Order: sequence, then structure tokens, then C-alpha cells
Amino acid sequence: MKWLGYIWIGILLIVTAISIPQCLFTSDGSVMNMMGQQSALDPQGPISQNQADIFYITLWVTLFLFVTVGGTLAFSIWKFRARKDDDPNTLPPQSHGHPLIEVGLVVASAALLVVIAIPTFGGIILKKKVPVEYEADAIEVTVTGYQWWWGFEYPEYGFHTANELVFPAGRAVKLKLRANDVIHSFWLPKLAGKTDLMPGQENTMWIKADEPGYFWGQCAEYCGDSHAYMLFRAKALEEADWEDWLARQQTETVVDGAGYTPVALEEAPDNHDAEMIEHGTELFVENCARCHSVDPRVQTSGPNLAHFGSRSSIAAGWLENDPENLARWIREPHEIKPGNFMWKGFPDPNDSRVIQMEGLDGADLSEGDVEALVAYLYTLQ
Amino acid sequence: MTEPETTIPENIQDMSDHAAQTDPLEALKATSTGVENKKMAMWAFLASDCMFFGTLISTHLIYRKIYPGVEDPQDLFSIELTGFSSFILLMSSFLMALTVSAAHKRNIPGMRAFLMGTILFGMIFLGGQVYEFAHFVHDKGLTLSSSVFGSTFYVLTGTHGVHVALGVFWLLMWFLASLPARLGDFRGERSLLLQLGIFWVSPVLVLVSLYFVKHHEIAYLLAGIGWGILFPLILLASGSLRGRYKRENALDVEVAGLYWHFVDVVWIIIFTAVYLVEYL
Amino acid sequence: MSTAASHEQIADIDAGADSHGIWTRPLRKTGIVGFLTTVDHKKIGIAYAVGALFFLLVGGVEALIIRLQLMTPENDLIDARTYNQLFTMHGTTMVFLAVMPLSAAFFNYIMPLQIGARDVAFPRLNALGLWTFILGGIVINLSWFFQGGAPAIGWFGYAPLTSRQFSPDLGTDFWIIGLQILGIASLVGSFNFITTIVNMRAPGMSMMRLPLFTWMTLITSFLIILAFPAITIALVELMFDRHFGTHFFEVSGGGKPILWQHLFWIFGHPEVYILILPAMGIISEVLPVFSRKPLFGYPLVVFSGAVIGFLGFAVWSHHMFTTGLGIVATSAFAFLTMLISIPTGVKIFNWIGTIWGGRIRFTTPMLFALGFIWMFMMGGFTGIMHSSPPVDAQQQDSYFVIAHFHYVLIGGSIFALICGIYYWFPKVTGRMMNDFFGKILFYTIFIGFNLAFFPMHILGMSGMPRRTHTYKAEMGWSEANLWSTIGALILGFGIATFVIQLIYSCFRGEKTSSDPWDARTLEWETASPPKEYNFAYNPVIHARDQSWENKYGKTGKRMEKIAPGEHGIHMPDQSWWPLVVSIGLFIAGMGVVFHGQPLEALVPFVTSEIDVSLLHLTVPGLVLTFYAIFKWALEGPGGYHLHPSPEELKGTREAQPHEQQGH
Repeated sequence: MKWLGYIWIGILLIVTAISIPQCLFTSDGSVMNMMGQQSALDPQGPISQNQADIFYITLWVTLFLFVTVGGTLAFSIWKFRARKDDDPNTLPPQSHGHPLIEVGLVVASAALLVVIAIPTFGGIILKKKVPVEYEADAIEVTVTGYQWWWGFEYPEYGFHTANELVFPAGRAVKLKLRANDVIHSFWLPKLAGKTDLMPGQENTMWIKADEPGYFWGQCAEYCGDSHAYMLFRAKALEEADWEDWLARQQTETVVDGAGYTPVALEEAPDNHDAEMIEHGTELFVENCARCHSVDPRVQTSGPNLAHFGSRSSIAAGWLENDPENLARWIREPHEIKPGNFMWKGFPDPNDSRVIQMEGLDGADLSEGDVEALVAYLYTLQ
Repeated sequence: MTEPETTIPENIQDMSDHAAQTDPLEALKATSTGVENKKMAMWAFLASDCMFFGTLISTHLIYRKIYPGVEDPQDLFSIELTGFSSFILLMSSFLMALTVSAAHKRNIPGMRAFLMGTILFGMIFLGGQVYEFAHFVHDKGLTLSSSVFGSTFYVLTGTHGVHVALGVFWLLMWFLASLPARLGDFRGERSLLLQLGIFWVSPVLVLVSLYFVKHHEIAYLLAGIGWGILFPLILLASGSLRGRYKRENALDVEVAGLYWHFVDVVWIIIFTAVYLVEYL
Repeated sequence: MSTAASHEQIADIDAGADSHGIWTRPLRKTGIVGFLTTVDHKKIGIAYAVGALFFLLVGGVEALIIRLQLMTPENDLIDARTYNQLFTMHGTTMVFLAVMPLSAAFFNYIMPLQIGARDVAFPRLNALGLWTFILGGIVINLSWFFQGGAPAIGWFGYAPLTSRQFSPDLGTDFWIIGLQILGIASLVGSFNFITTIVNMRAPGMSMMRLPLFTWMTLITSFLIILAFPAITIALVELMFDRHFGTHFFEVSGGGKPILWQHLFWIFGHPEVYILILPAMGIISEVLPVFSRKPLFGYPLVVFSGAVIGFLGFAVWSHHMFTTGLGIVATSAFAFLTMLISIPTGVKIFNWIGTIWGGRIRFTTPMLFALGFIWMFMMGGFTGIMHSSPPVDAQQQDSYFVIAHFHYVLIGGSIFALICGIYYWFPKVTGRMMNDFFGKILFYTIFIGFNLAFFPMHILGMSGMPRRTHTYKAEMGWSEANLWSTIGALILGFGIATFVIQLIYSCFRGEKTSSDPWDARTLEWETASPPKEYNFAYNPVIHARDQSWENKYGKTGKRMEKIAPGEHGIHMPDQSWWPLVVSIGLFIAGMGVVFHGQPLEALVPFVTSEIDVSLLHLTVPGLVLTFYAIFKWALEGPGGYHLHPSPEELKGTREAQPHEQQGH
């Protein structure tokens, strides 16, 4: 029966050997974790660069320890194994220890820690404080975490957007982090490590992208049912594009007052006539406007939808923003994001059995209604 | 290690010493450190309890700093009353020390009297706390949910109150155990009846006088009457306890005393951290 | 059990003869009554182990479902909520119901044998610890069967997600109450172990002669009694928030959610050492035995264990580096955290020093012990990495952290506990577990474990957050997740097979002598399995590795055996009351869980307008608890005497007058 055991272990070793290249490399031959959308080892800004540098320092220190300590361990396991020709009656020397060796090793390991500690303290300060040279042209964004989406407010310019953080490349962005309900965590791995969004407390951090780019971020603190679906995208724009974007965000997409009629209708998308958009508008006012504002200056309980059509993703970064996805998102938000308030409505904070604000669950939208809503939403460019 | 015997030793002091040395269980009582197991375990428990109260007190202090909660705690507290009940609790610690001392001297009647005093003072302290809570809830509008201050205040002082109540219960058990097995057997301890009388009357007096101060709260009166009914019942039910106290139980009384002193010391800290600090 | 010994009841001090109370004192040693009323530390230890292994399997199945869900991107094997419940229950189960009680099983069974004691200081309190553990585990797992199902709040239960507003279902209440009851189990157990180790050592067993495992038991017990109050109070505050409208963690009422994190981690970080120190103790026993050398630098290993325990209370905020602590606090906690790696490193150095120059026998326990050193070292290294807050900013709450603590808790704790089971199995049962099969299992578990968890380092650095039930294919996490799942299945297969081997060996294992490993410490001096009274004689200790010295040492270092007096060996009586106290607490706890719930939602076929209140269950439960405590106090430890057979007393001598005090 013993050969069965050896074969089994052999199989396991082969499986392990196969797994190693698969875990490390992608099909195009590059190291996988460098490629990932959220890789912390592909830094694109000063903070993530600093954090990756310190990571590599710790990696080298521990690799050194692994080689020396592990090497000694491996050597002693091999060297001092019991052999068949050992005299069973003789004992190895019964040494109880050696103070000099012990103290020496303590001092050596303390010295190694200093190597890590010094850059660490630099990194702590860097993450908290914007360096003076970036301070002058820094912009400010207030990030608010909701279950399960992100609100971004640009207080200097007085408008809100959601789930897509846009900022100029090469300039520091000072973030004020708040939470509306439970704890979330703002994590944009290629630009900076995470900072939590705590209810009742305002945290700060800053980010900067060296070059224009498109980044993925995600909530990193467990925040309830759809935590896994709480993503966001970040766009670092060239200065000129940034100015364009700013200008567009600051134009109102709606007339204030009783109705939510889109004023600045750009060219309606193909094969959607004005009537359909009209219908979509009515449906929006009736069903959606309770929670979603299309006025960039106003933040209500749901994501702000002003300029929705120009965003690249929907459902807090989970789906790409195309008509098909959007229709599905309106039709069955609970299938895409369980626990979603857009479907079940907002419960009373004091008694979860009472629904305070109706969701789409009871709205009973027809296919045509959904299509009309999609058509309307894409007018919000 | 209580090992009650079926025979009833009427006067412990008369017992000779030789029995203990031949007791097969005596060897088990010898410990590596010389400190009895029960005392060691009690010290361990008290170390743990320190952390319990430490957590509660720090919660209160942290929140006090962030949110004052109530507008003016000085207006809320009546330092005279709390100061008085704190003094009473401290004095009970003194009486507890006398109890333990009497127990070690095998002076059972003395021990019983001091024990009674300790219990009584503990009861007065508890009465003060009940009064204070009712006063805060009904007159000052401070409840568990009215503010964070209310939350931390009630949970902290309430936990301490539960400790005192458990202590009172525990000491009461030893008091009952130290009674003669037959209640008629007073052996000249005439003061016993008097003690029992005071014991019965005092909490009632405290509660009734509180009732007259706070006249709209019938609960005080009910509590007083309840205690008046409960106490004779406890005495009646104490058949299995009476006469159980023996010389070696001095250790158990001492362990209970450790607990009692600890609860008192904790109160000094709470009194400082919750009450006095508001008068700085 | 007492076939070789005569059994004589001490009638006059037994309160079973007392007519008070609804039950007389139980005397049966076997059967269901014997099991429910036992006060024997060995039976209690075995019961702990059985319960812990059961929950280990439950937690393992939960882990496998989690892994299967993550095997492919956008998998829909289970939904988000189920996934969240599973990782909550997996964490809670593994920490509180598997690793801690498995350690407690060893504390119970092995520690009294190692110090030459007849039992723990308070045998009935020990039984209370067992029953509260089992009922606490039941409470937590009962949540699956009630409306809303198991809690979905994470094992850390961060406020305000745990408030009524965000977690309206009963699961969170079951979790709170279950943890409170388990806290009682840990606390009473620890009071008992501390008293036992400090007070009940055999004559001559000075503190610096204690076996390392006993030392780590002592330190762990101190950690428990000092760390558990923090979470107990935090849970009380949370319970008040959920049931009685306080505002400890409610932002709207002025509370601070961050307070929960501080309280939780003031408990939670020492808890990490509560999980690992017993493992280190086991390893420090096994390595010397199979290297045939004493532990290298015993005083330093003991001292570093104490330093780890002490520093463990000063580093809690490193779990909170991303919560917006100030620069000074972050730096201070980073520094202290780095510091704690020094005593941990000391242990690894000393273990290597122990096998250095030895004569290593590669038995199954030794393989697990060596595997432990490797895996714990890896976990330690990743720990050093995120002791640096800038690095931690990227790694916190990512799969990197999952890899780190599974290396420490599986590669560390679980490896060591399995090592301990293989090592002490012959002592407990008098049978061996097959060595070849054990080695195959070791390699299976070792490979499966590394395959499951090493890829998680890569996943973490490439940005995969924890506690997410799904991920997008574009993220580039698919391959590593697939292999991790395959590894987890191999690991699960290994653990399950280990449990089968364990059960098989209990009945069919090869019979063995009392000292099959040629071991070093006192527990190997007595029979396998040990008699009820552990040692037929009173050992007098003259050396640190007493069993080794008896076999190989100088005459002056050999153990003396003192015969028990003419009264025989005093044994404590069994008792119903620990079980009744636990049941009372269970009922009281259920009352709190159901407080304010409509009755008809809880009990099928009942239509009633009543809401459950504290009066319905909690008050009766507490009355039962206090009644049982009262009866417990009244009945006393009781006791009877056993007389070992003459052959067990071979080589003993009569006690000298000055030794009367010894036991």
C-alpha cells in the first residue's frame, strides 16, 4: 500500500509545479500582479511608488532572513537527521543553550528592523501630508461612502458626481473621506493605499497621478451585502481635458423647479425619438427622482446622475456603461447587486420592516419603460 | 473547600485542633505557593475584573471628552448624596475587614455582627443608587438612550451596582451559614434578634424615607415591602445554610472580603472618574 | 476505570446524601450520566477536543464553500449574503470554536499531567468551562435556523454595520450572546489553569522546571483573563445598543464606531497570541523529544513567550492603521509591532538551536513541528511587512492579509495542534496513530495548504480585497483563485482524512507502551491512558526534563515516588450543577436574543400577539443559573478515595513527616 502514498504525494507535487507559473504569469508572459487593474506593484503616483518601495525593502529584508534562517533550518534538518548506523544508546550532546548566541541573534534582528523602520516613518508622513511643492495647485474632493456606491463632491467648484473620480494628472488631489452609513475604505491601489471612510469622522488622504490614466478602485472595508460590488473608476486627465470636463460638469442639465425637464438636450441617440425621451423623463421624475438628482449641485440619497451619459461605468464601477447593461440594471438591480436600495427602497433606520422610500420593486416597469428611461438617461451627457 | 458535617458544632471555639491534622483532605489544601487555591483564583478574577471596569471607565471618559452629553453634569449630580453613599461603602469595607479579622479569631458572634453591618451598608449604598437612577430618569430626563452620557453612565454604574448586589447576596449567604442550625439556639446571643431587627428595618426605613422625598414613585415603597417579605422568606429557606459555617470557612469569608474590598476600591475610581471630575 | 483500585466513598462529607436539592449527587462514571457530570480533567479535555474537531470540520466546510465560490470570476454558486454569512461564521468558528477549544483540550488533558497534579484546582469549574463552550458554540450556530440566518457582519463585527439599522436580523444577536457565553468558558477555564499551575505543582517542580507547554498555558491564561473583558464589555455595549437604545456605537446618537475597533482589537490582538502561544508550547515539547536534546535556551524561550504576551497588549492599533489615526499614534504602534517580531524570532532561533546537533527522528509529530517552523516563519515575515503602515496601506483588508494570518493560524496553530494530537495520542488512548499514513497526511496538508494560501499573497498585492464574494474577470485574479481553490480542496481532504484516521486509531490503533517516543516530560511517566488519579504516587521532581532524567540522567536527578497515605487518593465527586449553570445561561442568553421579537415569527404554528421580553426567558434562565450556583456551593467538592494497586506503587516510599503537606 505504501506505493499508493508515494504516487499520491507525487501527483500533489506535479500539481503544485503546474500551478506556480500559472499563478505568477499571464498568458502573454508578463508577471501577473504587475498587470492587474488594481495591482499595488504597478505604482502610478508618488504615494503608491513610496509604498511599493517600502514593500520591496521589507521583501528583501525578509528574503534575506528566509535564506539565512531557513537555510540554517534546512541544513540542520538534513545534517542532524538520525541515521541507520547511529548507536541507539549514545545521546547527542545535551546542550542547553548559549547566551552569547541568543543575545547576538536578538541584536541582529533588531538591527534589521531599523532598516525597515526608517523609511516607514517617512512613508507615514507622506501619506498624511501633501508635500509643499504640490500644495499650490492641489484640488479638493470630498469622498462620501454609501452602501454601495461613492459620492464625489468638488467643493471648490460646487458640484457632485458619483462613482467616477475625475482629476487632473500631475496635480495633487486632497481627499476628504466621509461615510454616510457604515465604514467603507477608499482604495485606488495604483495611486495610493487605502484610508477608511468612517461615519462620524472625517479622514484625509491625498493622491496624485504622474501621467494621465484610467484607474480602478474598490471599497476595501466590508460594508454589507454588496460590498464586492462597490467599485469605482478614476480618470486622470490632461490639463486641457480637465478644464473641459470641469466646464461641462458645471453646466446644469436640468431646469430647477417643479419639473425635471432636460434643457440642454444634445443630439438624441439614434432611433430614439423625442417622444420616447419625453416618456423617459416622466418615468424618471415619477420613479427615480426621489433618490437621484440630475442637478449637479444637489446630492440626494442616491448617486447624482447629472452628466450620467458621459460616465464610463454604472452600478458603482461593476458594469460598463452601455445601453444593454443600463437596461438590465434598471430592470433587475437586485439581481446585479443584492440588498440594493434601488430595488427594495430605503428602510426606516429605526425599524427595518418599514420602507421609508419606495424602490423599483413595486414600480412595475415594462420593457418599453425601461427603454425610455435608458434613452432619457443618455441625454444627460 | 466546604465540607459540611452532619453534626452541628454549636460553638466553634470549643472545637479542638486535632481533627484538621488527620483530615485526609488537609493535604490537598497545601499549595506550591502557600496561598490557598480559592484566594489565588479570586485574585485572578479580580485582575480580570479590573479590565472589565477599566474598559467601562475608559468608555465613559472617552465619550465625556468628545460629547459632554448632558448640558451640565453638576446640575445633574447631587454630590452630597453620592458622597454620602460612597462614604457608607467605604465604611462597609472597614466593617468587612473587621469581619475577616473576627473570622480568623474564630469569634463567630462578632463576625456575624460585622457581617451584618457590611451587608447593611451595602444595602444602603444600593438604595442610594436606586434612588439616584430613578431621580435621574424621572426628574432629570437622563435615560439609557437620551444621550451617550446616559448610556455610559448607566452601564458603568449599573455594572458596579450589580457587583455590589452580588456581593451583598454572597455575604448574606455567609451570614445565614453562620447562624446556629436551630434558630432557637441563640446560646446567649441576645443581640442576634436585635441585629435581625435592624437588618429587616433598616433597608425599609431607607426606602420609605426615600419614598417621602420622592413621593411620586411607588416603586420605593414596593421595594421596601418586598424586602420585608423577602427577608423572612430567605431566613426560612436558609435551613440548608444555617449551621454550615465552620472554622475553616474563615478562608471563604476572606475571599468574599477580597471581592468586597475590590468592589469598593473600584467605586472610589468610578466616583472620581464619573462624579468628582465634573466638579473640577 | 477503577478495576485495579478499590473504591471507597467518603460518606460523611458527601452532600449527595443531603436530602436538599432535586438531584442526589451523581456517582456513575460511565454512560451518559457519567459524561454529563464528569469533573475529570482528562474526560473534559477529550470532550473539548471532540467538540473542537467537530467545529473545525464545520468551519472547514464553510471555508470550502467560500473557496468554491471564488474559484472562477463572477461565479454564482452562492449569493452575496450567504457568502458574507459564511465568512463571518468561518472566522468566528475557527477562532472561538476550533483553535481555542482545541488548545483548551490540551490545557485540560496535558497540563495537570505535566505538573504532577491529580486534577485542576477546581474540577467543577472546569466542567462549567466545557459546557459553556459547547452551549456557546450551539448558540452561534443556531442562528442558521432563524429568520435572517447567520450573522453577516464579519468575525470582527465592526460597528455600525452591527447596529439594528444595518443588521436587523437575529443573526447578530446570536453572535453577541454566543460570544459572551464562550467568553465565560474561556475566563473560568483560565482562572482554573492559573490557579492550578501556580499552586498545584508537584514538590520540586519549580517554575523554571515547568515544561514549556505548561508555561505557555499559563501565559495564555493570563492573556485570556486580561483580554476577554475588553470584548465582553464591547459586546455588552453592542447588546445595549441593539436592544435598549443606547448610543455607544451609534453615530446618530453621538457614538463613535471607532471605539468598537479599539475595544475589539485590545482583545483581538492578544487573542492572536492566545491562538499561537499554546502552539508554540507544543512545538517546544515536540522538537526536543525527536531531536533527543533539551530545548535550546529554555529561560529565553519562556521569557520571550512572556514578552510576546505583554507586548501583545500594546500593538492593537496596527489593525487600524487605515482608520485615520494620527501620525504619532501610527508611528508608535508601527514601532511596537516591529518590536514584537524580536521575541517571536527568538523562539524560531531557539527551535533551530534545539535541533542543531541533535539526532532528528522524522516521525509524524516531528514533521508537523518542522512544518510549523517553516510556515510560521513565512507568516512572521509577511507580518513584518505590514507592520510598516505604508506597506499595510496597500495590504490591509486585501488577500495578502488573508495569506498572512492563515500562514500563522493554519501553518502555525493548526499544524501545531495536529502535531500535538499525533504526539499525545498514545498518552490519551494507549494506541498509536499509523506513522506512514500520518506522514502522507502531513505532505498532503502541507502541499494543499501552501497551494491554497501562497497564491493569496499575489492576489493581495494585485489588489483583491477581502470579504468580496465575487470579482471581475478583467482583474487578472482568475488563475491564482482557481489554484487556491484546488489547494483548499486538497487541504480539506487532508484534514478530513486526518479526522478519520484519528477516529480509526482510537479503536484500531496499535497498542503501545506508556512512553513510545522516549519523551522528556512528566506526563510520560504515568500509564497510557492515565488512571483517574493520574499518578498512583506523589512525584517529587528533581530536574526540568524529569522523564528524560529518569531514563538517562544522574541518580540525584531522578524522580522520587511517595506512596499515598493510608487514606488513599482523594478524588472529587461528580456534579450536575456545572451543566445546569450552563443551561441556565443558555436560556437567559436566548431570552436576550429574542427580546422584542414577535413570538409568532419564532415558533411555528403559534399565533400570538406577544413580543418576547426579558421576562419570558432571561429572568427564568438567570434564576436557574443562580439556583444552580447556590446548590453548587452547598454540595461542596465532595470526594471519595481510591487505592492504587500494589504493582502501581512499585518503587515508591513512605512520606517523611516533613512531606505531609505534599500531595
